[in-house]
Amino acid sequence: MKSTIILLFGVCILFCSCHEEKKQEEQSHTIKMEKENQPISELSIYNLPSVWTTQNNKEIELKELKGNVLVMVMIYTSCKAACPRLVADMRSIASQIPEAKKNNVKLILVSIDPETDTPQRLKKFSIENDMKSDQWVFLRGSKEDTREFAAVLAVNYKKISPMDFSHSNIISVFDQKGELAHQQEGLGVNNKETVSKIIELAH
Amino acid sequence: MNSLLKTVTISIIFSILITSVLAQTQGMVTVKGGVYIPLYGVDSTAVKINSFLMDVHPVSNTDFSIFIQKYPEWKRNTVKRLFADKNYLMLWETDNTLGDQLHPNAPITNVSWFAAKKYCECLGKRLPTVDEWEYAAMADEHITDARKKETYNQYILEWYEAPKSFNNTIGSTFKNYWGIYDLHGLVWEWTMDFNSVLISGESRKDVDKDSNLFCGSAAVGASDLMNYAAFMRYAFRGSVKANYAIRNLGFRCVKDIDIVP
Amino acid sequence: MNTRLKKLNLSTLSFGVLLLMMLLGASCSKEKDKTKVYDSPEAIPVSREMIAELTSPPNVPKPTGRRKAKKLIVNMEILEKEGEMTDGVKYVYWTFGGSVPGSFIRTKIGDEVEFHLKNHPDNKLPHNIDLHAVTGPGGGATSSFISPGHEAQFSFKVLNPGLYVYHCATAPVGMHIANGMYGLILVEPEEGLPEVDREYYVMQGDFYTKGENGDRGLQPFDMKKAVDEDADYVVFNGKVGSLTGDNAITANVGETVRLYVGNGGPNLVSSFHVIGEIFDAVRVEGGDLINENVQTTLVPAGGAAIVEFKVDVPGTFILVDHSIFRAFNKGALGMLKVQGDDNKKIYSGKQEEGIYQPEGGGIQEMPAEEGVATTEETAKTFEEKMEYGKATYMQTCFACHQAEGQGIANAFPPLAKSDYLNADLNRAIDIILHGKTGEITVNGEKYNSVMTKQDLTDEEISNVLTYVYNSWGNSKKEITPSMVASRRNVH
Repeated sequence: MKSTIILLFGVCILFCSCHEEKKQEEQSHTIKMEKENQPISELSIYNLPSVWTTQNNKEIELKELKGNVLVMVMIYTSCKAACPRLVADMRSIASQIPEAKKNNVKLILVSIDPETDTPQRLKKFSIENDMKSDQWVFLRGSKEDTREFAAVLAVNYKKISPMDFSHSNIISVFDQKGELAHQQEGLGVNNKETVSKIIELAH
Repeated sequence: MNSLLKTVTISIIFSILITSVLAQTQGMVTVKGGVYIPLYGVDSTAVKINSFLMDVHPVSNTDFSIFIQKYPEWKRNTVKRLFADKNYLMLWETDNTLGDQLHPNAPITNVSWFAAKKYCECLGKRLPTVDEWEYAAMADEHITDARKKETYNQYILEWYEAPKSFNNTIGSTFKNYWGIYDLHGLVWEWTMDFNSVLISGESRKDVDKDSNLFCGSAAVGASDLMNYAAFMRYAFRGSVKANYAIRNLGFRCVKDIDIVP
Repeated sequence: MNTRLKKLNLSTLSFGVLLLMMLLGASCSKEKDKTKVYDSPEAIPVSREMIAELTSPPNVPKPTGRRKAKKLIVNMEILEKEGEMTDGVKYVYWTFGGSVPGSFIRTKIGDEVEFHLKNHPDNKLPHNIDLHAVTGPGGGATSSFISPGHEAQFSFKVLNPGLYVYHCATAPVGMHIANGMYGLILVEPEEGLPEVDREYYVMQGDFYTKGENGDRGLQPFDMKKAVDEDADYVVFNGKVGSLTGDNAITANVGETVRLYVGNGGPNLVSSFHVIGEIFDAVRVEGGDLINENVQTTLVPAGGAAIVEFKVDVPGTFILVDHSIFRAFNKGALGMLKVQGDDNKKIYSGKQEEGIYQPEGGGIQEMPAEEGVATTEETAKTFEEKMEYGKATYMQTCFACHQAEGQGIANAFPPLAKSDYLNADLNRAIDIILHGKTGEITVNGEKYNSVMTKQDLTDEEISNVLTYVYNSWGNSKKEITPSMVASRRNVH
């Protein structure tokens, strides 16, 4: 924390020490600049170097999603109990995002069972669940990267039989910089807060 | 006769190979694989563990100092907050040096999971899984599975109650059956899949098999309720997040045993 | 709660009618006139923010009095630390706020409590808190689960007045509680609790150590004893003697004392009693029900009670768990010292002192007994003398001199192979007849205690002495009733 403050302070000295009176303007300018082309922030998930495969069999790095508001959930396609409800929650959230903002929001489902969930299987799942538009992204990665990603989302999961996992039910919202902005935990919980956070962020 | 000679030759070659493998893995010992029933198992049944190599000691402050000199992105002042919270290496005197407060030969603590994971990867190793760690740690000095021994459990519970053991030196507790020190009695240790623990900390609720909460939630029931020591480890794992750096939490690495090429 | 709500609803109703009339009559004053009546505690608005005063036992924070509901910030730090259970016995306590029981939290109905639970970095374990005053899953346990070096925050509105227990609910729950992780939170009604002169915080808990009660050194928690509910210590406020001697709570004659009594358990139910006082009022189980004139009130594990009494006379009043071995053998004992003037009308103090010796002697000697004794069977043979003598010995002498006449070191001299006994037969008869006080030397050891005179007949004394002299390597003398009779009149 201390070092962050010092760092910020240093930045301030470098950039705005001579323009004291224009500070306000400068600052808003910097913020705008940041949105386009600033280095990845400390808490951003875009610090993760992992490479993922989408339902369209395309390889992507997380940072390619930068600039979007991300709504993320971790599921596995063969799950019978909680996942269908999580998927339904995601669909419900998606339906509440105004048309005008849809382009800035990506809905992302990450598989916790990459061995079973091949890109083909994810594709099939997306069609079955009516998640066909570009807004929906399905990701699978290596077992290690999946574990790491879950650690970042504070999602816990464990394989408990060849076909079943237990896992926490968390939907996470990330802002354009890739920083965690909101989490909702539980099944069938009221998603009002989540939706309003997404709308607030997307512009 | 001929075949006997062959066998002997093969076994000599084999043992040479093994020694060369051992040379690369100094400070590690083999934990022979087997089957055990963990506290929270796959369908509460036995788990098969393959043989693996485990560090004899937890990673020390000195070991970690060397690591951050080589990989400066893991220094206190440069590490990303996503990967380590602000308690990271908190007791170090400076970003580079331990200072007088910490013993160089004490286990490294106040490290995040990401840092621990990276450390092991850079040495061609990895963090142990919860199952591997628990499997190795159920051994006492004499037998591979001492979990039923009252004295063994009492020893562990006593440590859980004893304050400030993080600055004791590595190797200061007992050497277990496999030749591994300090699995109990020094610090908690990170595991690769620490976040596979699905307990909320509301342990009374966790006993309940609420199918609404988790897929396959039947696994939440513990196989041996009297194993309080293990209960507390699982509770601890359930309470942490990957970027947490905690004063009583360190780590050690393991390595798969490569099949001889 | 129920009755209270009904009351509230009733008054709301009448208030509504009143408001309607006012509106009809003159619709000038609106919201401003609103008095402090709400449909439900949930509707009570909070004004401003304040940081809660937390106190360690036996102290209690200041009453909420007439203050309105507020946003109340509670900062609670969890500390695992070594303390002293009793002299020479150390124990690692897990604490809320550094004390056992944990800090007392005082709130008012309608308060919105913003709870910050801080787990000290030096601690080994994750913890959480379940407050029985919380309406919500786990009483806050899930929301407050926190690992060492971290802080959790959650909020709740207190809806029900009463005295509530809070405790840690992390696995294994029993162990966290057994190590001291409990305390009390009070929710005062809107008007506050009636004023009293003194308020104190007393909470009972049972402890399970590897060694027995009194075994010295650092004693770890013993899970097996805890499961068996076999407590080594049952104490008030976390340790033996936390409320005795200099630590005793105090009051002056004429004052009203209110005790907030809790029981953390983990296992035992308390029969809370103050020796020499009668509780004028007990808020049973910490709720709305008030019982009057109570001697002993039951405080369940994970429960509480509020007791009030006026102290009328000076002296030391002992707080006990009236499951009485816990008080005198395991530590559940505290003291309330009351100073002030005597009130002889209420309690006289000792008016007369005399000697009372139920074993026999001047005051108690009843002529009838001699009559009874003479009708008893007399021994005709040596064997019978031995048999009857042994019976008398086992009834009268055994407790001190023991079955084999070995006595008890430093307290009661031996009769076996006793040089003192064998040296003088008449002295032995005299001691039984008249008692013996002062120092004597038996088999080289000094003894200094008291033997009262024994109310036995000549026949009985002759039998028991014959038995003693013919057992355990003594000098095999036989004593007759007439030998005893001849000694009766010597002094």
